[in-house]
Amino acid sequence: MTVRFALPDVGEGLHEAEIVRWLVGVGDTVVRDQPIVEVLTDKAQVELPSPAAGTVAAVTVAEGDIVTVGTVIVEIDDGSAPTAAPTAGPTAASTAMPTASVPIGTEGAAPPPPVPTIPTGRASGTRPKASPSTRRLAARLGVDLRTLPGSGPGGRILAADVETAARPGGPAAPATTAAPAAPAAPATTTETAGPAPVAAPLPQAGPLGPVPVARARATLGQLPAGTHPLRGIRRLTAASMAQTWSTIPHITGMDEVDATALLEARKRLQASLRDSGAEAEAAALTPLVLLAAAVARTLRRYPLVNAAVDPDGTSVTVRERVNLGIAVATPDGLIVPVVTDADRRDLVSLALEMQRLAGAARDRTVSAEELRGGTFTLTNYGALGGRFATPLILPGQAGIMGFGAIKERPIAVDGAVVARRTLPVVFSADHRIIDGDLSVAFQETVLGYIAEPLTLLLGA
Amino acid sequence: MVVGEIPESTGVLVIGAGPGGYAAALRAAQAGKAVTLVERDAVGGTCLNVGCIPSKALIGAATLFHDAGHGASLGVVASPTLDWPGVQSHLQRSVEALTSGVRQLLKAAKVSVVTGTARFMSPTRVAVEDDHGLRHYEFDDCILATGSRPMALPDLPVDGERVLDSTGALFLTARPSSVAVVGGGYIGVELGTALAKLGVTVTIVELAERILPELDRGLAQVVLKRLRELGVTVLTGQRAAGLSADGLGLALADGTVVDAEKVIVAVGRVPNSDTLGLDHAGVRPQPNGRLAVGPDRRISRHLFAIGDLTDGPALAHKATAEAEVAVAALCGEPAAFDPAAIPAVVFSDPEIATVGLTTAAAEAAGIPASSFRFPMGANAKARILGDTAGYAEVVVDGDGTVIGVHLAGPHVSELAGEAALAIEMAATLEDLAGVIHPHPTVSEAVLEAALGAAGHPLHVHRPPRRSG
Repeated sequence: MTVRFALPDVGEGLHEAEIVRWLVGVGDTVVRDQPIVEVLTDKAQVELPSPAAGTVAAVTVAEGDIVTVGTVIVEIDDGSAPTAAPTAGPTAASTAMPTASVPIGTEGAAPPPPVPTIPTGRASGTRPKASPSTRRLAARLGVDLRTLPGSGPGGRILAADVETAARPGGPAAPATTAAPAAPAAPATTTETAGPAPVAAPLPQAGPLGPVPVARARATLGQLPAGTHPLRGIRRLTAASMAQTWSTIPHITGMDEVDATALLEARKRLQASLRDSGAEAEAAALTPLVLLAAAVARTLRRYPLVNAAVDPDGTSVTVRERVNLGIAVATPDGLIVPVVTDADRRDLVSLALEMQRLAGAARDRTVSAEELRGGTFTLTNYGALGGRFATPLILPGQAGIMGFGAIKERPIAVDGAVVARRTLPVVFSADHRIIDGDLSVAFQETVLGYIAEPLTLLLGA
Repeated sequence: MVVGEIPESTGVLVIGAGPGGYAAALRAAQAGKAVTLVERDAVGGTCLNVGCIPSKALIGAATLFHDAGHGASLGVVASPTLDWPGVQSHLQRSVEALTSGVRQLLKAAKVSVVTGTARFMSPTRVAVEDDHGLRHYEFDDCILATGSRPMALPDLPVDGERVLDSTGALFLTARPSSVAVVGGGYIGVELGTALAKLGVTVTIVELAERILPELDRGLAQVVLKRLRELGVTVLTGQRAAGLSADGLGLALADGTVVDAEKVIVAVGRVPNSDTLGLDHAGVRPQPNGRLAVGPDRRISRHLFAIGDLTDGPALAHKATAEAEVAVAALCGEPAAFDPAAIPAVVFSDPEIATVGLTTAAAEAAGIPASSFRFPMGANAKARILGDTAGYAEVVVDGDGTVIGVHLAGPHVSELAGEAALAIEMAATLEDLAGVIHPHPTVSEAVLEAALGAAGHPLHVHRPPRRSG
């Protein structure tokens, strides 16, 4: 029986989604709830699980297509005899949330999965002829060996065949069996302010598809000459950056503050947590957590910064809650999960939530809900290096604060030049509602908390 | 360490410390993960404690005892005596040497080893029960490696006294005069052969129409012939009905009674997927008890299964290979379990090694195949050893690529690695035939089979056998 899988409503009120990448191809054996396709909604990129076990009979939409909810995107032959032909749409919708996938739905009797074919070569007549090292190379480079002619004796696929195919314009289609590489945080050499290395969106999610982070440096900015469509997060980023640049008149202030007290405070808080056995909490308590707390309190004090100019440009809406977006770089681009009520959380709660959301953003388990409702954004661009930047405000907000790399730099203290670890702080504001005086007052309040972290105890 | 409802968090939780689980734990620890390894019984699992290792130790002792008394044709005349407790302590020492090595490796890798029985409480939480109570673990990733246990027969419940499973058969405190082995698969054949060589009267009872039904018929025939030479009675197409009315033998379904001081049940193994509380993790085993996994051994994003829990042969080296795949996958590397072949070896007499496709399996898969069998009788080393039963067979596909190697003969288990290498590398017949094999060794039989399959055998005068 063929199970037709229609695009489910993966978010609230979603109408359409973009097909970013097929994780399976026609003829592949899939197990129930195995991720089969990556789709991008207006809020998040999610993997959709297979509604049934069986063989992929047809893929009816292409990568890059924008598909409305309810459109059949894949057909899976579950190997059973045809019956009264129920479609998998409603069932799939209930299991399609991008949370950690639970392999067996509780919604009813699913057909027992067939014994999956174990690829030992014992049952397959079309096994690609390639040595284990060549197979691993193919998996790393994303080359599907089944589509690759081998140039070796007896049609054996050689490492050189795989390398040729992996070059842009090579003969092979992208691999569909390789597990997607889990994103990892880029290594940094300078001390950084937190767990979320963020910056201008990484140019990794081009039409060539996501690449493993380990290769990111080598592939950064690499694209053959010609015109390429913008897809996935890249397309969304392009649209929202253009919108914010053309509608919000930005002003950006830059300053630098001695971070010694902040780092010391963090160290002592961590030691205290460790003494009470709270190892995980201690690990989560990065300098960025203290900075987030400082910004959240400052937003309470200046409600007009926790606001947004309405789309028609004639009114401003001041937000009640302080929901901090934390920009997180992923191999596919920038994702901004939101810490709700950041001003009401204690440091431990803030730390754990920031850590959880950053992890969820990186491994793509973050839900659309967790990307909504931000009222102000933090960007820790210093994790990638750099001192000052002019970050762009997200649509629907009035400000964004960025932190550069903490480094030892010369500053003047009591008339003498000394080396201190300093933190560059930049603040972009919407000049339609925020003038220089408010901008400077806001930024100096944050700097005050950084210079004297104890004052965080006083609240807003 | 916190005891009670407050969970300890661990990066990777591995359940089961057999050759799959301990390898996964070591690899994950090497990758920098915080690893907790839960084991119900003893580190090393079935393989090291009650499977491969003690059984091969028993077979080794049995073969030495038997061969020492049968060396007259080589000019050696001896009457060895058997020290049964000595044999048993040899088994125990073999097990202890290897399991203590594993324990040391785990300790050095800073793997936290927890003894107890694991049950899922939720998709991300496992409770481990020991004599002192419950301990909860919250994990980022979990690898299930709980293996399998001997299948029970309702009519022949294992009592550890008259009726034994394979474990009980290995650790007998005294030599029985007679045993009936129910099950003529590789475990039954190995145990039956060893006991026969130790002077026990052995009867093997197999339900199928031949022993070693999982192997190619030609290989099974070599073993059957030798079993009969060893005085083993082989009854096929027979079902064991239970202990006889007088309790002194094994009753068969057709009414005959087999004399047996002990009855050994070796009819297969069942996966330990039913004791984990997997319903709390939202996981349901397949009807055969195995767990459905993707090529990267994932059940779901953070849950993996390896070894006897997954489909495929229940073999230690398959579990270890899957452990590598699962850990690579959870570390975010592209990884898939896609061997060209999973080698299998049987420590029967003679030994058997089978790697890749037989001609029959190739035909069934629609692959045009041909093969050549080189008899061990034409191999110099087998001659010297006075052990000429068996053959080496190489199977090739239409492109001349080696897709199967099947061996019966002295020490051929050691040649399975060469065969697997050839198949995994997609070697052609010319590759295999172009490799110099040392003389005089049994490995020359593989070379000769390849030469034969290529149509120009050297030491036999026979055209290649074609099929398909």
